[in-house]
Parts: sequence; C-alpha cells; structure tokens
Amino acid sequence: MKIKSEQFKEVAREELKTRHTRAHLDVIGLFIQEMREASMATFPDPSAALELGRAIRAESVERLPELLEAFEKKATANGAVVHWARDAREANQLVLNIARERNIRLVTKGKSMVTEETGLNEVLVENGLEVFETDLGEFIIQLLERPPFHIQGPALNIPVQEICDLFLEKGVMKEPTLEPVELGHAARIFLRDKFHHVEMGITGVNFAVAETGTIINVENEGNIRLTKSSPPIQVSVMTLEKVVPTMKDAMHMLRLLCRNCTGQKIASYTSMDSGPNRGAEADGPRELHIVILDNGRSTFYRDPEAREILRCVRCGACMLECPVYGKIGGYPYGWAYSGPMGQVLNPLMIGQERTQDLYRACTFCGVCKTVCPAGIDHPKMFLRYRAHDVEGDSRYNATRRPWPEAGFMEMFTWATKRRWRWDLGIKAVRPFINRQVEEGFIRGLKGPLEGWFKSRDFPAMPRKTFRDRMRGRKE
Amino acid sequence: MSKTVKDEILDRLKVAPQKEPPPRPMMPPLNELALNEEEGIEKLVETLTLIGCDVHRARDSEETLEKLTEIARAEGLTRILASEDDVVSPLDLPEWGKKSNVEVFTAKDCRDREEFKRVAFEEVEAGVTGVDFAVAESGTLCLVHDEKQPRLVSLAPIRHIAVVPVDRIRPVYESVTDELFAAGGKAPSHLTFISGPSMTGDIQATLFRGMHGPKTVTVILVGQASS
Repeated sequence: MKIKSEQFKEVAREELKTRHTRAHLDVIGLFIQEMREASMATFPDPSAALELGRAIRAESVERLPELLEAFEKKATANGAVVHWARDAREANQLVLNIARERNIRLVTKGKSMVTEETGLNEVLVENGLEVFETDLGEFIIQLLERPPFHIQGPALNIPVQEICDLFLEKGVMKEPTLEPVELGHAARIFLRDKFHHVEMGITGVNFAVAETGTIINVENEGNIRLTKSSPPIQVSVMTLEKVVPTMKDAMHMLRLLCRNCTGQKIASYTSMDSGPNRGAEADGPRELHIVILDNGRSTFYRDPEAREILRCVRCGACMLECPVYGKIGGYPYGWAYSGPMGQVLNPLMIGQERTQDLYRACTFCGVCKTVCPAGIDHPKMFLRYRAHDVEGDSRYNATRRPWPEAGFMEMFTWATKRRWRWDLGIKAVRPFINRQVEEGFIRGLKGPLEGWFKSRDFPAMPRKTFRDRMRGRKE
Repeated sequence: MSKTVKDEILDRLKVAPQKEPPPRPMMPPLNELALNEEEGIEKLVETLTLIGCDVHRARDSEETLEKLTEIARAEGLTRILASEDDVVSPLDLPEWGKKSNVEVFTAKDCRDREEFKRVAFEEVEAGVTGVDFAVAESGTLCLVHDEKQPRLVSLAPIRHIAVVPVDRIRPVYESVTDELFAAGGKAPSHLTFISGPSMTGDIQATLFRGMHGPKTVTVILVGQASS
C-alpha cells in the first residue's frame, strides 16, 4: 500500500463532504460506545479491570526482549518455525520464499494490520500467487484497491450499490442485489471454494504468549479459523510487541480487547496455536511459520515514552471515540493505522516530516487516553512531536516551524520571562487586539491568527488587568 | 542469516534504557467464580442464549439422541459430519444415523485429507462435536483439536451441533487454560473458543450470521447438577 499520510488535509476535506462517510461515523460511534459500556459493566469493577490490562501491556513492553526470547523458545519447542524480519521487505520476502519453495499458488488471508503495513498482498500477487483477503470488509477493499476505513470495519462506509457493482464486475455473483445479507452470502459462496482448495493460509496475531509459545487470533467471521484449518501450511505474521507474559494475561487482555473493539464480551472465535498439527489429524497445518517483524520498532524503543505506543492491542476504541476521526474517517491518515493510535504510531514509523498534519489534527480532549485499555497517553505524544518540531530533532525527522511562528514564540517567551516586559507588552498590544471588538468579544482578526477565529471567539481585553483591579480593591 | 537478524533486533531492544514495569493492580474476582454447580449451568444457558445459540437439555445419552433426532427432523438434516471425541463417540452416531435416516460421516471414513475436506465443505448439512469445556462467563465452547476432533467439523458446515456434558462447565476462561496449559504438560496444538455463530457487520454495519462459519450453533446440555 502506498503511504499517503502527507495528503491528510486534502483527503480530510474531501471526506467531510462524503455523505456515506458521515452517516456511518455518526451512527456507529454511538452504537459501539453503548455496547462497550454495557460489556465493561459486566466486570465486578470495570476500572480495576482496565487498570490491570494497562499494567499487563506496560509490563509486556518493558520486558519485551526477554519475553520475545522466551516466546521463540517455547514456540520452537512446540514445533513452530520462527522467522525474524528487520523490515517490511524482508518479511514479505520470507513469506514469498515459504510459498515458492512449496509451489503454492492459492493463498487465503485473515485480516491482519501487519500485512497491510508491509504491503504483502502486492508482493505475492506480483509474483504470480492468487491471494484472497477473506474477512468480508477486507475482501471488499481488496477488490476496490482502497485502504481500510477502520481497523475493524475496513469497508463500513462503502455503499451497497458500489459493493453490488463491484461483485458483479469481479464475478463474485451473477444477480444484482442491494441486500447486505445477500451480498455477504455471495461472498461466502465465492470464498468457500477458495477455503476448500487453499494451499497456504496467512494470518496476523492478536497475542503471542511467552509462557506457552502460543499465538492467539480473535475474530467473528470464521475466516481466520478456516485459514488455519484447511491448508497444510500456515504463516502467521506478528509485530514484535504482540507478546504478553502469561496465558492468564492473554485471557484478561482477550476480555478487554473484545469489549473495547465491538462491545462483545468475547468475539465468536478465538483460536490458539501451540505448534502445527501433530501429524495424524485430518486437517490443520503440517507446518506453522511465525514471522516476527520489527520494521523500525526496536529503533524507537530506545525512547521510553515513544515505546508506550507498542502497548496498543488494536481494539480501535480510540478511533470511534475521537472527535476528529468521527468527522473524517480513516482515509485521511493515509496508511494502515488511523485515528489516535495511528497519529501516535505513524510519525515514529514513517517520520515526522511526512506526518505533520496527523498529530496536529487533535483537539486535546483526551478521550482516546481515557478509553485506551492498553494505557497509552496519546495526547502526551502529540505534544512531544510538536516539541520535536520546535527543536528540529533530527532523530524523528522533525520539521522546524515556519519562521513567523518560530519568531513570534521566541518573542513571546522573552516577553513572559520578566514581569515588566509582560505588563508593558499587554499595554502595547491591547489597542491593537481590541480593534475588532463586537459586544465585548473579538470575533476575528486579520493576519496569521485568522484561522484560529474561524470557529472561536475571544473576550475583549479589559482596560484594567486582573492585577490592576486587585490593587484597586486594596486601596 | 535469520539468527543475525534476530540478534540485531534483540540487541537494539536490550541496550534501550530499562524502566521498571509498573506493579500489577488488584482486580476483584469475576462474579462467575462464586457460582455453584447449579448456578453455573443456569449462567451458561443464559450466556449461550444471549449470543444466539439454541440450547436444549437432556438427562442422558438416550435423551441426547432423541434431541438429535428432533433437531435433524426439524432442520431436515440428511447428512452430517461428526467428530470422534470422547463425548460424541459413546453416542455411536453412525448407528443412530441408520435408525434416523441420516448419513453420518466421520474423518475416519475418509480416505485422505482431500476427501475429508470435500465432505466437510460440500457434502454435509451439519457438524456434530462434543466439547472439552464450556465457559459460563460468556457461553464459550472450548474444543481441543486433535485426531478425534478435526477443526473443520465445527466450522465448515452451516450448522454446528455441540454436545456439552454439564460436568465440563467451567466458570471462566482461566479455569480452562490453567488445566490445558499446566506446566510440564503438552499444550494442545490447536484450541478453539467458540462463542456463538459466525457473524459479521462489515457491510453497512448490518449484522448477519453465517458469514464463513456456522449460521446456527445448537447446544445440547447433558446431565444435571450432581448435588
């Protein structure tokens, strides 16, 4: 997938005009919010459950190297083959090699954000393999060649008419229909044949358990289970932060993931692999390959604050709560990861110079941080990225601010450092600022601050400052 | 080569400044842990029903087979695939099938993997399995997959019928994983938690069942609380 994060503003402007995007964001957000609250309320103490989840993820990230080694050891002992990949290119090559060495032609995939990140599909297709995304939403956007709209509902916003036309054009069905259920059924029939004859299955990983060497997948459709049951070869790709210390921890995170993702107590299917099949079974993979992908994560891990984003379990709660995502949807973020988690992760992965608008598209309401079951403080990171820009921090490819802004801030800092400078400054700028007062409020200002006043106003500056008035009282 | 990539990545992680992991806060135990046997059964029935499973009760094997006959008749089943796990085997479904005019397939009857897959994907109208555990917390059926419990039986056919002996009910997931992943033992190569039918809401958030897996999950609870 081409990364288009630089075009954030342009795409956001377009999306604001799209009726379908708007209609869905308005409804789905509210619906899931209610389901989440109801399902969280089934814990005897919901906030304690949330805090425990946050502690588990924090510990997982702090103990990352040790847990990864333990996981590899156990997974290998279970009979899985563990591969390590520095970056997307290496991971894709590894998967391609596994397929080539075994003369694989037909591949089915379970939805995975990591293979979205590496652009695995393109590589496999370029090399002559037939690759089918099998999650219904992911199947639709694969046919449309579009990025995911939301990590759980990649095609939620696509109108039925468009899906109908697409399915007819691509031969998924023969008779037109606008019924979502019938469209889904057509996809079932079409993909069933692929599941029957698939030679290699590719999945992501939700949790990797260090204690037992087990990988865990969570889903509602059954496409991941089919991808792990029908073909003789299974390849599961995970980024290195998926690991949790114990099976108990995984079970608690499973509860939190499902409740925060779709508002379910648990998803329809959770499947756990500890090695390939044992040889005598009628189905299941003879070979289980686990690819552990770094792709820049171990580099920003050196920054103890930046590494906090690695706690993310991809539940998507932050997106559906975010007032900005709620208006513009997933496309403007321009990559696999959208919403607040994408706003934190993308600058670290692809550099701040390409994501300038991403971390500025924030109202600092902090709701993302409040709901996050992994304990990520998104707004804190947005402030840090802005600070990197001001300082021109080269490690993050930060971009210095335009000179009028930088100059103004310098002056402002200078002015606030001494009492007399501030008092004098206030007196000097008051007549200038109060030029456009209407009924006691400044409604707009010409010049560089114009944008700020588009949706806000500001009380006129009174003749006397607070201190002046207090002094008056004493006398 | 793979070795060097691994070391390179791990070394970068290891030289990073260490932070003390935060302490684990206490969480009050889940409500289900306080349930007695009878309440556990009730809770399971409640949670199974809530997520869209049909629940039937049977006192013993004989009643289980009667229920199965009823279900087969109501749904018009003529061909089913059964696993050979320790719950289903004693029921002798092939024998039951002869009496009930239902053709019963098992993995054992299939020549090879291809034939088994063809039966699972194309021939049968339902899959019948036992369960290793059922979790009251969320109406979750736990299946350990092996020779006798092939993965596709509970997955490929459009209906899943599960036989659940009441003594296999557990309050929470950890009661299951503690037992299956006990230190020193061999972990199950594939373990599935099934909680209701296959589902999706991917088109216009319209929920519907039977996306890729079973559209219906029917549970026959066998036995009563011992006390």
